[in-house]
Amino acid sequence: MEPHEQIRQTQKKYCSIAMLAAISVALILIFAGYKPLGKGLVLGTVFSSLNFILMGETLPRRISGSRRRASVVSGVSIFIRYALLAAPLILAIKSPSFNLAATVVGLFMIQIMILATQGIYASTRKNLDY
Amino acid sequence: MMSIEIEAWVRMAAFVGAGFSMGFGAIGAAIGEGFAAAKANNAISQNPTYSGDIVKMMLVGQAIAETAAIFALVIGVLLLFATGGNASMITAAGLFGAGLSMGLGAIGSGVGSGFPAGEACDGLARQPALSRTLTTTMLIGSAVSQTPAIFSMVIAFMLMFINFSGGSPHMVAALLGSGLCMGFGAIGSGIGSGFPAGQACVGLARQPAMGSRLTTNMLIGAAVSQTPAIFAMVVSFMLMFISFAGTPVHPTSAALLGAGLATGLAAIGSGVGSGLAAGAGVEGWARQPMATGNVLVIMLVGQAVSQTPSIFGLLISFILIFKGYPSTEVFIVSTALVSAGLCTGLGGIGSGVGNGQVAQTAVSWVGRNVEQEALLMRTMLVGQAVSQSTAIYAMVISLALIFLV
Repeated sequence: MEPHEQIRQTQKKYCSIAMLAAISVALILIFAGYKPLGKGLVLGTVFSSLNFILMGETLPRRISGSRRRASVVSGVSIFIRYALLAAPLILAIKSPSFNLAATVVGLFMIQIMILATQGIYASTRKNLDY
Repeated sequence: MMSIEIEAWVRMAAFVGAGFSMGFGAIGAAIGEGFAAAKANNAISQNPTYSGDIVKMMLVGQAIAETAAIFALVIGVLLLFATGGNASMITAAGLFGAGLSMGLGAIGSGVGSGFPAGEACDGLARQPALSRTLTTTMLIGSAVSQTPAIFSMVIAFMLMFINFSGGSPHMVAALLGSGLCMGFGAIGSGIGSGFPAGQACVGLARQPAMGSRLTTNMLIGAAVSQTPAIFAMVVSFMLMFISFAGTPVHPTSAALLGAGLATGLAAIGSGVGSGLAAGAGVEGWARQPMATGNVLVIMLVGQAVSQTPSIFGLLISFILIFKGYPSTEVFIVSTALVSAGLCTGLGGIGSGVGNGQVAQTAVSWVGRNVEQEALLMRTMLVGQAVSQSTAIYAMVISLALIFLV
C-alpha cells in the first residue's frame, strides 16, 4: 500500500474509533443529565481528530524536499495545529454549555484510543507475530 | 489602588506562566518528533518496500510524543484565562509556578517519547513482520516516558487550583520553588525513560523471541529512571503543604526557593544517567538472553549509583527546609541560601550523566562478555565514585553556604 494511503487508513481508523467512543459516552452523559460533560467530550474529540488529520496531511511535506523547507512546514504545521487545539479550550472556558475537564479529556481521545486499541490487541493475542 | 496593583501582578504572572508553559512545552515534543521523522527517513531508505508501514508507525509515534506538548497547551490556555480568585502575591506565585512546572516538565517527556517512536521505525525496516508487536512496545515505552510530564501537570493543577492565599508570606517563594522543582525534576526522568523504551524496540527487531522480557526490563529500567522525578515531586509537595508560619520570612523564603532548585536541578542528571544504564540493560538482554540476571543486577547497581546526585539534592533540600534560621534582613544571607540550592543542583547534573555513561558501558559489556561481570562491576563502581566527586564538592560548598555564611 502507498504511504499516503497508509496514512489515510490510519487516520480513518483512529478518528472513527475516537469519535464513536466520544459520541457513545456523550449520549450516556446527556441522557444522565450531564449535558455540558457530553458536549465538552465531543468538542474536544472533534478537535483532537482534526489535529491528527492535519498531522498526517502535512507528513509527506515534512519528510520530503529540502531540510529548510521541511523545517518551515513543520514549524507552521505545529503552530496551526496547536492554535486549533487551543480553540475548544477557550470555547469551554468562555461557554458554560461545555465542561472544561471533559473538553480536555476529549483533546487526548486520539492518544487514548491508540493506546487502548493496542492494549486490547496485546492482551488478546496468543503469540508473537513473527 | 493597592488591590489593583496586586491584580495586575496576578495577571502578569499568569500570562508569563502561560508563555513559559507552551514555550518550553513545545521544545521536547518537537525534538522527539524530529527524531522519529529522522529515523523514519533512515528506515525508508533501508527498506523502501515498507515505506507505508514505516510512515504509519511514525505518525502514531509522533501523535503520542505530542501528548506532553498538549498538556502544556492545556495549562497555558487555562493560565491565560485564570481569574486568580483571591488576588495576592501568593496567587501570582502559584500561577507562575504552575507554568514553569508544566513547561519545563514537558521537555523531557517530549524528547523521551521520540526515542521509541524512531527506533520502532528503524526496527520495522529490519523486521517488517513484527509491525504489531513493535507498535505495542513503542506505545508502552512512549506512554511510560510521559509519566514525568503527568507529574508536572498534577503539580501545575495543584498550584493553580488550590487556594494558598491565606498562607504565610513564605508561600510566595515556596510555590515558586515547588513549580521549579517539579519542572526541572521531570526533565531528566522524561529523557531517561526514553532510552530503555527505544532500546526495547531495537532489541525486539534483533531478538523477537525476547519480546515480553524486553518489555519487562524496559518497565523496570524506566521506573527506576523516574525516581529522581518522584524525589522532585516529594519536595514540591513539601513546599506546598508544610506550614512555615512562625519562622522569619527572611531568610526562610530564600531557603525554600533554594530547596526547590537543589532537588529539581540535581534530578536532571540522575534521570538521564539512570536512563542510559537502563537502555544498555535492555540492549544487553536482547544481545545475550542467557545473561539476563547478570545484566539486570549490574543495571540496577549502575542506576542506583547514578541516582546519588539527586539524593544529594534531596538532602540539601531537606536541610534548607527544616533548618531554622534567625530573622535577618541582610540580603547576603538570603543570597547564600539560594546559592546553596543552585550549587548542589547544578553540580549534580554532570555527575549524574557521567555516572550513567559509566554504567551504560559496563552494562553493555556484561551483555557481550558475561564472564567479566565482576571486573566490569568493580571498574564501573570505581569510575562512578570518581565522577561522583564533583557532586560531592558541590554539596560541600552548599553546606558551607548554609552553615557558615
